[in-house]
Amino acid sequence: MKHVRTYWAILRGSMITGLVYRFGFIFTILGNVVYLFVAYFLWHSIYRNSTTLHGLTFNEAFIYVALGSTVFILLKTYAEWSISREINDGKIAVYLTKPLDYQLYWLANNLGFTVTNLVAITVPTVLLLIFVFKVSIPLGPGLLFFPLSLVMAFLISFNIDYAVGLAAFYTESTWGLSMTKEIIVTVLSGALLPLQFFPDAIQKVLLWLPFQTIYYTPLTMIAKPDQGWGVFISMIGVQFAWTVASFVLTRLFYVQAIKVLRVSGG
Amino acid sequence: MQTLLRYFRLYFLIEAQYIKARMQYRADFIISSIGMFFTSLATLAVFWVLFQSIPNLAGWNFMEMVFIYAFYMIAISPMQILFDQVWWLRYDVQLGTFLKYYFRPLNMMFYYLSERFDLKGLTQLALGVVLLIYASIKLGIHWGPLNVLLLLAVLFGASLVLISIVTIASCSAFWITNSFPVLNLAWKLREFSPYPMSIFDGAFRFVFTFLLPIGFIAFFPAQLFLRPQEVSPLIYFTPLVGIGLFALTYWIWMLGVNQYTGTGS
Repeated sequence: MKHVRTYWAILRGSMITGLVYRFGFIFTILGNVVYLFVAYFLWHSIYRNSTTLHGLTFNEAFIYVALGSTVFILLKTYAEWSISREINDGKIAVYLTKPLDYQLYWLANNLGFTVTNLVAITVPTVLLLIFVFKVSIPLGPGLLFFPLSLVMAFLISFNIDYAVGLAAFYTESTWGLSMTKEIIVTVLSGALLPLQFFPDAIQKVLLWLPFQTIYYTPLTMIAKPDQGWGVFISMIGVQFAWTVASFVLTRLFYVQAIKVLRVSGG
Repeated sequence: MQTLLRYFRLYFLIEAQYIKARMQYRADFIISSIGMFFTSLATLAVFWVLFQSIPNLAGWNFMEMVFIYAFYMIAISPMQILFDQVWWLRYDVQLGTFLKYYFRPLNMMFYYLSERFDLKGLTQLALGVVLLIYASIKLGIHWGPLNVLLLLAVLFGASLVLISIVTIASCSAFWITNSFPVLNLAWKLREFSPYPMSIFDGAFRFVFTFLLPIGFIAFFPAQLFLRPQEVSPLIYFTPLVGIGLFALTYWIWMLGVNQYTGTGS
């Protein structure tokens, strides 16, 4: 119980820090609104000659892409930049002397930012989608799984960022690693395009990779929720397996990486 | 003229030192270049996937989109290579380290921006040139000397348009300190510039042509080489648009510099 209190304090702290930059929210929302319009026009012209593409209607594809951008803002916490900066300038030493788990510390910290963003950015965007773009979200079992799926997507995405951050123990090139990770995750996860659009062979490979569980899984649940329960249960199962795997792998990586740490002065 | 030459020589000297210092971190350079390479190709990969399902986008086929995107990659490279320092302005303004530039006998904008020369941007430039040549061959575009001159002129203008938009966004730090959200918005807008402007409705086309003229970064000028007969003669003035916007940027920069008083830290 004491631990929960510790990490809760960290989470609350980062939520409050997030609120310091209230002015920034306006621009993030504005950026997202512009993106929604661009996506709307783009997908409108993609669907100019067809009512369904790969089993998706315009409405479904647009919900997918539009919510994809807001989920993107939620999951993009820039954790790997902060973690690698702490490792490179030696600030990590301060945490090692405290009774804290480094991974959980960052997880709580990130969750705080994500909750702030959920309230400040995602909620207005969803309202905008419903009232300005007049999208209709169909009802179905998928919607029930969506919240749980989003939480697991957050955990997997965080663990990938955390692993990239830890790579700073070995190299100073944070920019290159983060960018490469960023691109791999956004393209292969179906954040920009629903996976159905990829050629069959590529699709099969992508379904075996962890990245699709970050965007494709939760977004399918909300864009096409009217499918059988079995579909969603197996999706959640795969996502759960990757969540566990990502925790195990990052903890093993940390144990290895911490051995090479040398902090000289500070 | 004398001053211009002096600045030119100084820029060369400063960057030579910077590159020498960066070369200590060879692994960083290699990994960053790889990152840049993937970043540049990602959008193209998305286009490719998309074109598996549709024959054209608002009448433009895949190879034409490759050409526009290659033009875009070249046009955004000067921003990446020469103006990357604008991303640090908000830190310098916040921490007060910006104050030192007031005491140097050089043009402040020049000196501040010369602090960084982004080597990995060269990867993007090279990739853009290769793709532009590839798409030109595939599309059978004929490059006479006049066309090459026109290309260089509009690329110059297109680069300045992007540089101006991003630098103005960065300058907001003089007033609001943390300019990241504004910068990020400007940076995101840039990504919409290769899309055919005809997919947007009137209001958005107006904004992207006149208010936030991202159309001039890629789609409009690239059109000059793909379908010159469809282009409004206005597009030939891209270099002037760029120069005009850059003059505005310089004015805003000076305004910011003159009213900045530090944050007290």
